[in-house]
Amino acid sequence: MEGNVILLLPVLFPIFMGIFVLAGKGFRTNRNALIVASLMGLAGGLILTILAVVGGGNGLKVWQLTEQVAVAFQVDRVGMLFALLTAAVWLLVGIYGFTYMTHEEDECRFFGYYLIVLGVLIGLDLSANLITFYVFYELMTLTSLPLVLHERTKEAVMAGLKYLFYSVAGAFMALFGIFFLTTVCRDLSFTPGGILSGEMVLGQERLLLAAVCCMLIGFGTKAGMFPLHGWLPTAHPVAPAPASAVLSGVITKSGVLALVRVVFYIVGPELIRGTWVQTLWMTLTLLTVFMGSMLAYKEPVMKKRLAYSTVSQVSYILFGLSLLDPTAFVGALSHVVFHSLVKNALFLSAGAVIFTTGWTRVRQMRGLGQVMPVLLGCYTVVSLSLVGIPPTSGFISKWYLAQGALSSGTGVFSWIGPAVLLISALLTAGYLLPLSIDGFLPGADFDDKEIRERGLKAKEPSLQMLGPVLILTAGALLFGCFPGPFLGFLREIAGTVF
Amino acid sequence: MDWILLAVPALLPLIGGMTLLLVSQFDPFKKAEGEAGERSRGDRLLRIYVEGIALANSLVLLWLVFSAKGESVVLFRLYGELKVMFRLDGMGKVFAGLIGVLWPLAVLYAFEYMKEERRKAAFFSYYLMTYGVTAGIALAGNLMTLYLFYELLTLATFPLVLFPMTREATRASRKYLYYSIGGAAFAFLSLVFVLYFSSTGDTAFRAGGMLDLAAAVRHKDLLLFIYMLGFFGFGVKAVVFPCHRWLPPATVAPTPVTALLHAVAVVKSGAFAILRLTYFSFGVGFLRGTWVQWAVMAAAMVTIAYGSTMAVKEAHWKRRLAYSTVSNLSYILLGASMMSPLGLAAALSHMVFHAFMKICSFFCAGAVMHQTGKTHVYELDGLGRRMPVTFGCLTVASLSLTGIPLFAGFISKWNIARAAFACGMGSDGSLGGMAGSHGASGWRYLAFGAVAVLLYSALMTGIYMLTVVIRAYFPKVGAALAVAGIGPGLSQIDRRSGADAGRCDPNWMMLVPLLLFAAAIILMGIHSAPLMELFLQIGGEAG
Repeated sequence: MEGNVILLLPVLFPIFMGIFVLAGKGFRTNRNALIVASLMGLAGGLILTILAVVGGGNGLKVWQLTEQVAVAFQVDRVGMLFALLTAAVWLLVGIYGFTYMTHEEDECRFFGYYLIVLGVLIGLDLSANLITFYVFYELMTLTSLPLVLHERTKEAVMAGLKYLFYSVAGAFMALFGIFFLTTVCRDLSFTPGGILSGEMVLGQERLLLAAVCCMLIGFGTKAGMFPLHGWLPTAHPVAPAPASAVLSGVITKSGVLALVRVVFYIVGPELIRGTWVQTLWMTLTLLTVFMGSMLAYKEPVMKKRLAYSTVSQVSYILFGLSLLDPTAFVGALSHVVFHSLVKNALFLSAGAVIFTTGWTRVRQMRGLGQVMPVLLGCYTVVSLSLVGIPPTSGFISKWYLAQGALSSGTGVFSWIGPAVLLISALLTAGYLLPLSIDGFLPGADFDDKEIRERGLKAKEPSLQMLGPVLILTAGALLFGCFPGPFLGFLREIAGTVF
Repeated sequence: MDWILLAVPALLPLIGGMTLLLVSQFDPFKKAEGEAGERSRGDRLLRIYVEGIALANSLVLLWLVFSAKGESVVLFRLYGELKVMFRLDGMGKVFAGLIGVLWPLAVLYAFEYMKEERRKAAFFSYYLMTYGVTAGIALAGNLMTLYLFYELLTLATFPLVLFPMTREATRASRKYLYYSIGGAAFAFLSLVFVLYFSSTGDTAFRAGGMLDLAAAVRHKDLLLFIYMLGFFGFGVKAVVFPCHRWLPPATVAPTPVTALLHAVAVVKSGAFAILRLTYFSFGVGFLRGTWVQWAVMAAAMVTIAYGSTMAVKEAHWKRRLAYSTVSNLSYILLGASMMSPLGLAAALSHMVFHAFMKICSFFCAGAVMHQTGKTHVYELDGLGRRMPVTFGCLTVASLSLTGIPLFAGFISKWNIARAAFACGMGSDGSLGGMAGSHGASGWRYLAFGAVAVLLYSALMTGIYMLTVVIRAYFPKVGAALAVAGIGPGLSQIDRRSGADAGRCDPNWMMLVPLLLFAAAIILMGIHSAPLMELFLQIGGEAG
């Protein structure tokens, strides 16, 4: 144990609180104690993350797992970005969950695992080398599993198993690549721009590309990239709304982080540029973008529609990465944050509707704006952001993605990319906005009495639920209006890795 | 003959077991089978006797592991150079240490498990004898002795498989007998050839092989073929496809037998014999890069894929674990087939780690069978809440078997994969890079396939182990919870606590071994450096 111990705190504190909540007997009967403990864990997680980011300094080596492999943490700009995003979103969604989970069973188990996953994710974000990263990556799968199968219906359990097997399969594919990398270099510490050089893999270039390809597809599983995307639309909707929100909004991003780390911090973009791997990667991501939007467009159930939307949107990010272009890289990382805010807000809105009215299908929600105008307003704003209408944040990231694609010099992809992004934006509008339109403007034939009867309890959700949605929406708007400092920060990152 | 102590671990349990078998025909052990009042006294005596011998033997064995420095003792000569000789070298120490640690704990578990059985004395006498025979395999100083104890192992464990005396058990034990003896016959051929081509005139193990290379190269293909016969011959006990068929039916035996013998002692003896044959008799210098290396590698790969796939299909819990053993034993052989120092180190690490993981899983299955009578995976819904300690240990073992980092299984798989990559790239696995290239044939790319098979099997392992865990902890809503039981343990608990069948973890005699194994798995996963150093040193000498 050498270095700055403060880095360990945001990892261990939430995990410790989570185990405390799971194991403590009193929490089952005393709901207030449960909420206080969970809130302490979440807020403590955020505060400690900020402290670690500020005072992380030169990293921390915890112990030597095998002679080649150490468990170590560090704070760099990418890790900082992901860790702060995770901790902040986790707190907001947690507050929402305190109300939402009243209509589910086993709250203790939910919040216990919810806290543990937070600690694991912070550990993932602050990992200093690929092995540590992999450890937390596996732990993330295992600890987030109880969130997916929380409701324990047959559907939920099967979805949980599907999630588990896809994730484990992906992780093992990635492990193949890690095995290869450990044979060519001793130390897999993350270094901006990569640690491999041409001489190190001399004579093994084909093997290197095969290994990178395995890692792309393997880690891409978590990010819902074709061909291992199948679990996502099954697993995300069956979880309780707060869990779906963080699964879609944050945990998929860990797949993105994995690819950022592998491509830009281990292998280095130069060894991949112009090879068949880059072509394959771009093809797969564009395919996923298009396919996800199409499936979302056809899906009648709200949460499933949002899950398909996640499949498509996360691949925007991956497409930005696959271009290996600084501008596109900035666009990709900004979309990580924006999509996280937007998708969490969307899932929380869908959850709030389920909570107050029990409606799950889009068709049922006609006239929703008459009972929940604020909620539907938020929904509309973040939907516009996801479509990419200025001045919302989605516009910024898509602008950078398109610009990056055009300047990336990837041949035919530099114009196919933006074209697919445009088509997908159109589809996004097509699957998100009808709810707003039907909600606010149900049409002349709409019987106002009917909705009052059907959703007798239907009114605006409580402030505890509405508050987080409002904050997320405000975030999505503000980043769009004043993107300057944030983009400057991302450009600095791009400057170090290219 | 100062080092006659080396023969003690093999002989003490053998003699102790035989004595028990004889005495059990008379008082007072006889009473253990008789009236209830007398029974407990006889029971206690039996326990003290068996555990005493097992513990004493383990102490001797562990003392030898820490103090022996390559001394040897010849017990007697069969004929000419056919000596029964004991010698403890590095690899023997690994195996000896392993069984020395596991056996007393397994005996403890067995007392509780066999509580209600009849013919206990006979059971424990064979259980003890098997300890001696396995120790003999670990301590064997030459191939002849190894072969002798290998045959004895079949005979000593045969009655244990037969123990339930049901029709199923009879068939299973007969199958076991035929397979083992058949395999030993093939192994015998390799013994003869090794003796004939040996450079020293006897079959004493030597790191790097004992063949007289000048004579051997003239009959290279013949010798390679003989090696393959030996591999598959010893491979019967190491459950290599297609000689694996005896193991899944043999799970009909009581769980202490399946756990210790069919997950550790018997199958590991097979793997150990193959390691001895490969690294200490033929020598990897002779075998590396030849067709036989690719042949045995392919056999191991097929077995891994086959075993783990069949395990997913199997709904009977213990048989599922048996298929898992089939696949995991071939991990060891896969490591061995890399024929490099790193390969041997990887094989040894998986030999040790798998022993802990698998015995822990089997003991969990046994605890569930004993407490509730459930034998199939689909009956386990919701048991996790009611047997928290048991299923906690099972979770640890499952994650480790799957190869999740921070658990022991990850370390050994990591090493096997590293050895495979080194083999595929044509280096010898030392960390110095690509120097020392050999085995340049295109077949070496098979090693990359080996890594892929390893990862496929890891996924299957995740499926067949974790479905059990998830079922136990997260029963589907509306599923028939595993509440009403028929086992002896549960009925007691039911009586005590009325209709509410609450927690039903077994008593300390079962829990202590389980907890120790789980702790060992985590400890070795987090801090494997000293063990790996030892394995690499052994590998460096023999590779």
